[in-house]
Amino acid sequence: MALMLQSPFPPALRRLLFALVASCAILGLDIWQRPLVTAQASAQWPADTAVPDLTRLQVQAGGEIPMPAGMAAAHASSLLPMPSGDAASLSVFWFSGDRESGPNVQIAASQYDRSTQQWSPARFVVNRFVMAEQLGYGLRRLGNPVAWLDGGGRVHLFVVATGWGGWAASRVLHLRQSSPGRGLAELAFEPVRVLPLSWLWNTSFLVRNAPLALADGGMVLPVHFELGIKYPTALRFDNAGGYRGMVRVSQRLHLLQPSLVMQSAHAWLAFMRDERPQGKVTVARTTDAGMHWSDLPDLTLDNPDAAVAGLGLAEGQMLLAHNSSIASRGTLDLSRSADGRDWTLVKTLERGGHDDEYSYPAMAWLDGALWVTYTVDRHRIAWQRLAAAPSAGTKP
Amino acid sequence: MTVPFDSWLALLLATDAPALPTPFVMQLWLRLGWSVVLAWMGVVAMGRLAPVSARQGAWQLTVAGLLAMSAWLPGPYSPAYWLGLAFQAPSVVTALLCAAVLVERLSPSCAAQGAATAPNRLKTAFAFTGVVAGWALLLDTFALLPLQLYAWGFSPAAVGLVVLVAAVLWVVLGGGPQALRARTWVVPMALLVFAAWRLPTGNVWDAVLDPWLWVALHVCLIRRVLRTFW
Repeated sequence: MALMLQSPFPPALRRLLFALVASCAILGLDIWQRPLVTAQASAQWPADTAVPDLTRLQVQAGGEIPMPAGMAAAHASSLLPMPSGDAASLSVFWFSGDRESGPNVQIAASQYDRSTQQWSPARFVVNRFVMAEQLGYGLRRLGNPVAWLDGGGRVHLFVVATGWGGWAASRVLHLRQSSPGRGLAELAFEPVRVLPLSWLWNTSFLVRNAPLALADGGMVLPVHFELGIKYPTALRFDNAGGYRGMVRVSQRLHLLQPSLVMQSAHAWLAFMRDERPQGKVTVARTTDAGMHWSDLPDLTLDNPDAAVAGLGLAEGQMLLAHNSSIASRGTLDLSRSADGRDWTLVKTLERGGHDDEYSYPAMAWLDGALWVTYTVDRHRIAWQRLAAAPSAGTKP
Repeated sequence: MTVPFDSWLALLLATDAPALPTPFVMQLWLRLGWSVVLAWMGVVAMGRLAPVSARQGAWQLTVAGLLAMSAWLPGPYSPAYWLGLAFQAPSVVTALLCAAVLVERLSPSCAAQGAATAPNRLKTAFAFTGVVAGWALLLDTFALLPLQLYAWGFSPAAVGLVVLVAAVLWVVLGGGPQALRARTWVVPMALLVFAAWRLPTGNVWDAVLDPWLWVALHVCLIRRVLRTFW
C-alpha cells in the first residue's frame, strides 16, 4: 500500500509542482474576484443646452445660505445639481461647527427649492461619531465634503476625515446615501469605506473639488496628498460609485486641490492651487482621458495659495473661479478661456480688503445658469447665480 | 475562441479593476486583526516584564484572551477603535505572524519543539525584502519614484509578483514540519486571505506589509547584521 502511494516525483519537484498549482489557484481566485477592466473614460459636458455667450454673464441673484443654528464656522462648500424631477434644483454641502477643525464640526447641507426659489434651512447630514460607530473606528475631525450623484441617482459624499493628527493625517471617507429619498428632510448617509490611497497608514489624502462626470455615469474625483509635500491625484469611479483606481496628475510637489475641466471627451485640464509664495495657478493636461498626465507651464493668473474651481461647458468654453491677488483671498474673480491658457476676466464676484476672505469657490451649471458658492471669512457660505444678459436688440 | 495575448497582459497589468473588501468584512478584520496583535503584545510583554512565576501558560493565556476580547468591545471602549483611527487595520501578514508566535508560546507541544527553525540567511532575506519593499512604498507615498507603486498594488500583476516571491521562498526552504515552524506559510496564507476577502484594503501591498511590520523588519535586519559582524 505504501509503495502504491509513493510519488514518482522527487521531493523538490513535488514542492515545485505544489507551489505552481497553489500560485495559480491564488492568482485565479484573485482575478475571478475582480470587476471587468473599465473602458477608456469619456467625459461628459455638464450643459444639456446650448451655452450662452460667457462674456455676457451677469449676476441674477445671490446671498447667503442659511447656516445651522449656533455654528460660527463654515467652509468648503460643494454644489450638486439635482435631477429634474426633484423638488430641489441644487444641494449644497459644507462643513460647519464652532470653529474649523473643531470637535463638533459636522457636514451641513441645504437645498434650493424650485418652487419657492429659496434655500432651505440648513441641516447636519453627517456626524463623525455616527460614522465612526458604523466604521468601527474613530474619526478625529471632519473637513471638506464633495458631493456626487451616481448612475442610479444616489447621492455620494466624499469627506475629509482626519486620523491621529491634523489635516496632514487626513483620509477620504466615502459615504453613500442610505435614505430612500434625496430630499433634505430625509437625506442620510452610510459609510462605504475610507478610500485606500496610501500605504502609510492610509494618510494623507484630501478631497476638495467637484468630480468630472463621465459618459458612462461614473466620474473622476480629484484629490491631493499633503504630508510635507503636495501633489494631485485623480481617482476613477464607476457608475455605481465603485472605486476603480488612481493616477498621479503631476510630478511637481507643491500643487494641491486639482479642479478637473474637460476640453473634449478625452482631453482634460487640471487647474491647481500653488502653495509657493508668489504662486500662479498651475495646470496639468491629459489627452488620453486621465491615463497619463503632463505638467504645463503655469498660468499668468496669480494664486495666493488658494483653491480654484474650474468648469468646462462646451468646446472652447471654460470658466475659472479664483482668488486673483497675491497673498490675499480678498478678491474672487470669474474668468473665461477658450484654450485653458489665456484667461479673460468675466466678472469680479467679490472684492474686499486684504484681510477679507472669499475663498474655496464651487461651481455648477444648471438650466442655462452658472451657480457659484464660496466661503466668506470662514463664517458663512455665500452664493450667486449668473446668467447671460440679453444682448442689445434681443427681445426680453 | 482564444483570448489574444495582449488582452491577457492588459488584464494582468490593469490597475483600474480592483476588488475591494465589503464594509462588513473590513469591520470584522479591523477587530480580528487588532485582537490578534494585542494578544501577541500582551504575551510578549509578559515574557519580558512579568515575574517568572507569571510567565506560565495559564497566565499568558488569560492575558492574551483578555486583550483579544478587548478589541471586540463596542465603540470607543475598544482599543481597535483607537488603533483603527491612527493606523487603520493591520496587514494580514502581521496578524498571521502574531498568531504564529501566540500558538508557539501558548501551545505546550509547540513550545517543546523550540522556536522557529528557518535558516538565518532565509530570515535575513525575508527581512531584507520587506525593508526594501517598505522603503519603495514610502518613497512612492511621497511621489519620489517615477512609477506609481501603490496604485500598481491594485493590479493582478502585483499579486502575481508577491505570489512568485512567496512560492520561491517555500520551494527553497522545503515543506514539512520544519517549514511550518519556520512560518514560510505566512505570506502564501496571507495572499490566499487577500485573494478571497481582499483584506485589508483591496491593495496587495497592504495585505503583506504595513508600516509597523516594516519597522519591526528593520529591527530584525539590524540585529542580524550586528550579530554577523560583531
